[in-house]
Amino acid sequence: MRAGDFDELAFFRAIHRSGVRALLIGRRALVLLGLPVLTADYDFWIAIDEIAAFNAAVAPCELHPTVDPEQAKRRGRYVVENDEHVDVLVARAITTVDGVPVAFEDVWAHRWAVTLAPGVDVQLPAVDDLILTKRFADRPKDLEDIRLLRILKSGLQP
Amino acid sequence: MNERAGFARLDDRELEPAAARAYLDAPTTEAEREEVLALAAWFQRRYPTPVERLAYVRRAYARWRRTLGAGASASAPPIDRSTS
Repeated sequence: MRAGDFDELAFFRAIHRSGVRALLIGRRALVLLGLPVLTADYDFWIAIDEIAAFNAAVAPCELHPTVDPEQAKRRGRYVVENDEHVDVLVARAITTVDGVPVAFEDVWAHRWAVTLAPGVDVQLPAVDDLILTKRFADRPKDLEDIRLLRILKSGLQP
Repeated sequence: MNERAGFARLDDRELEPAAARAYLDAPTTEAEREEVLALAAWFQRRYPTPVERLAYVRRAYARWRRTLGAGASASAPPIDRSTS
């Protein structure tokens, strides 16, 4: 499958229909919030016990996992890919670089949905939680995104 | 090293904690705030639906790789309206 052939809506529909608890994080979450940022990849944080279901859901999109679910659990992350590249976090909790624990269940509880099309919702973390996910590593682009998110949030408040 | 791997290596480098903290703690100037909010307002006006925004970013990324990508920072800055 060439990159131009990727059916993005079908990809998100498959995840939605699977019922897997999957949060879109990373820069595509910023895009859905209305920030124009460039990105190559998709980033998800999914429930740790739903790896196999997630893999099955995206398999028709010709996305295939790089490791089996048990390895993914041990590593805390894995990739499904073809010409597209999808990073998947599977940890129950991750600690930010400055020591703040962030639990998947807490982030999931505060999520909100963006509707792409009838029957196709994408689950996003709350903005403050999305900012926390950007502190899992101190990469320059993550810090830049935090500043963008802070400004966007300030613009949303009355 | 293929192109994606090269980008990823640049993209995944981490800053020293002090440098990261200094960046995050730097106050937001009014000019920066206005620029970001104007860019977001343009993006949301030009591409009012989530699907349009996702599609635009795929197109923009493909264009960026064709033109600037090989020599540009992998940090992939916010899209400038001039590229649309």
